[in-house]
Amino acid sequence: MSEATQKTMLQKLLLQGTNKARLWAALGALCVGTTLLLLSVLIWWNFNELLYGKNQSDSLGSTYVTIGKRVTEQNMGVKGATIFTPQDISELQRAPEVQDVGVITSNHFPVYAMMGGQMAFATDMPLESVPDKFLDRMPADWKWEPGSRTLPLIISSQFLDLYNYVFAPSQGLPQLSEGSVKSIALNMKVGRGDSTETFLAHVVGFSDRIGSVLAPQSFIDYGNRKYGTPGAEHAPAQLILRTKDPSATQFAEYLKQHDYSTNSQNLRWSRIRAIVEVVTSATGILALLLMGIGALVFILFIELTIARAQHSLTLLQQIGYGPKYLSGFMTKRFLPLVLGTVIASGLIAIAAQAIVSAKIKDQGLVLPSFPGWPVWAAMLLSTVILVWLVTRSISGAIKK
Amino acid sequence: MKKTGTIIVINDRVVTFEPNYIIHMQLSLQGVVPIPLREKIAAGRSAVWNSTVSFSKGEYLFVQAPSGTGKTTLVHVLYGLRNDYTGSVKWNSHELAKTDAETIAGLRARNLSVIFQDMRLFPELTAWENIEIKRKLTDTVTTQQVEAWMGRLGISEKRNSLGATLSYGEQQRVAIIRALVQPFEWLLMDEPFSHLDHANTAKAATLVLEVVQQHKAGMILADLDENTYFPYTKTIML
Repeated sequence: MSEATQKTMLQKLLLQGTNKARLWAALGALCVGTTLLLLSVLIWWNFNELLYGKNQSDSLGSTYVTIGKRVTEQNMGVKGATIFTPQDISELQRAPEVQDVGVITSNHFPVYAMMGGQMAFATDMPLESVPDKFLDRMPADWKWEPGSRTLPLIISSQFLDLYNYVFAPSQGLPQLSEGSVKSIALNMKVGRGDSTETFLAHVVGFSDRIGSVLAPQSFIDYGNRKYGTPGAEHAPAQLILRTKDPSATQFAEYLKQHDYSTNSQNLRWSRIRAIVEVVTSATGILALLLMGIGALVFILFIELTIARAQHSLTLLQQIGYGPKYLSGFMTKRFLPLVLGTVIASGLIAIAAQAIVSAKIKDQGLVLPSFPGWPVWAAMLLSTVILVWLVTRSISGAIKK
Repeated sequence: MKKTGTIIVINDRVVTFEPNYIIHMQLSLQGVVPIPLREKIAAGRSAVWNSTVSFSKGEYLFVQAPSGTGKTTLVHVLYGLRNDYTGSVKWNSHELAKTDAETIAGLRARNLSVIFQDMRLFPELTAWENIEIKRKLTDTVTTQQVEAWMGRLGISEKRNSLGATLSYGEQQRVAIIRALVQPFEWLLMDEPFSHLDHANTAKAATLVLEVVQQHKAGMILADLDENTYFPYTKTIML
C-alpha cells in the first residue's frame, strides 16, 4: 500500500462527512469578504494615485492652491506690500500641509497681442509662468528658447468658458472649441519703444488649475531680463502651493494668520476628496466586517467537519496517531482552499484595476493598469491572518 | 574492540552479540483509585488498586477480575485513556496524567499496544484498512506478514468487508492483528478472546505469544476467569 492510500483512509475517516455545497458556500463567503477587502484597498489606493500620484497630468487640482497677499485699505498704496519675500517663501515651505512652493512669475515688460482677419483685435496682455511641475497638463510642445519665434501659451479653461457662454452669444460671435482655439495664431509684440520683438503665439493647452495666461518660464525670464525693471523678476506677488490637504484646518488657520488670500474654488476637490475618504473608509469597515464573517463561516465549517469526525479522531489518537500529525493532515486539506480563495480575490482585484484604468482613460485621467503595493500588502496580511486562524482552529479543535 | 554485525571480537575472542535495543518500559501504579470505584475499593482489598504495583520487563501477567471490579478500567488507566483517578500511573518516567497527547501517541505507536474488549475498529474501513492504518504508522511488519496472520486466524476472505459488517468474532481477530502490527514492549489485553471459540482462541493465543516473544515484550491480560492462554509469570486478583 502506498502513502496515498493512508491518506485515502484518513480522508475516508475524517472528511467523508464534508458537505460539498456547504464547503462551496463557506469558500464563497470567504472569497466575497477577501475580494471586498482588496477592492476597498484598491479604491483607496486609486484615489490616492489620482490625488497624489506622480504621473498625474489630470485636473484633480485639489491639492494645488494659488495664494496672494490680501489687498486691504491699509496696504493698498504701499509699494511692495503684496510681494512675497524669500523669507515668506521659506516659511511657507515649512507650513502645515504644504509639500511644495512654486513662484508665479508675471511679466514686468509690455506685451501687446494682435490678431487680424474676421476676429481682429489688439490688447495689452498679462502673462505669467509657473515651474513646469505645477502644471496640470503638460503639452508636448511646451518649450521656448531664446531665438525661437513661436511662443506656446496655456490659458485657463475658464477663459474659454467665459468666451463661449458669455461673450460670444452676446456679441453674435461663433463659439470656439478647444481645437479651434489651438489653431488661432496671435502676433505678440514684446518690449518698449524701438526695442521690440514680435512672436507668433498660439494656445497649446488649457489649465483648470491656474486661472491665467501662462507662457514658458524661460520666456518670462528672458522678457523680464531684457525688457523689464531690473530686480522685479525676484518679487513674486502670487505663489502656487502643492498641499497635502488644503481643507485641513491647520492650513486654513495658517493662511488666515498671515492674511494670505486664496481661490476657494480650488478647495472644491478637497471636499470631494473628503467625501471619497468617508466612502472608502466606510467601504473598508464594511469589507473588514464581511471578511471577518467570511473567515468565521469558513472556520465554523472546519470545526463542524472536525466535530463530525470526532469519533474517528479519538480512535486514531488511541491507536497512536499524534495530534500534530492529524492537525497537519487537516491543515493540508484546508489551507490550499484558503490560498486558492485569496488568489481568486487577487485575480479579481487585478481584473478590476485593468477595467478601471481602461475606463478612466476616457476621462483623461491616468491610473496604473496593475494594482499597487498596498493591495498586495493587504492580500499578504489577510493571507497570514487566515492561515493563522485556520491552523489555530484546526489544532485547537483536534486537541479537544 | 571490533563490532561486525551481531558478532563482537574482544581480545581476539569471538563472542556472540545479542543486541538488546529495547530498554524495557516499566509500568507502575502508585495508590491508584478510580473515582467511580472509590467506595468499593475502600470496602475490600485489591492487589492493584490503592497499592504500589510495578510490572517489569518480560512479565506475563494475568489480572483476574470478577465483574465490576474495574478490569476494563485498569486497562484504560494503564493505556492512558482515562484520568478520573487519584494516585499516579507511570510509563517509565512519564507520569501519564501529566504527559502531553503527542508523547502519549508516540508511546502508543511504538511502546505499548492494546486489544480492547470492545474492539474499537473503524466501521467505515475494511478489515484490511483497519489493520493497514495502524501498520502504516511504523511500517515494522510487512503486508505479506499481515496476510499470513489473517490466514492463520481465518479472516483472509473478510479482507474487503467493512468493519461495520464484520461479526464480533471477526472484529476481535482483526483487532488482535491490529495490535500486533507495531513494535511494543507491553501488550495490554482486555478479554481478548471473549468472542472466539476454543479452536480460534488457541490459534489467536499462539500468534499473540509468538509476536510477544519476538518483541521480547511483556503482557498484561485481564479476564474474568482463570485461563491457560499464556504461560503467565504472575497472577493477581483485582
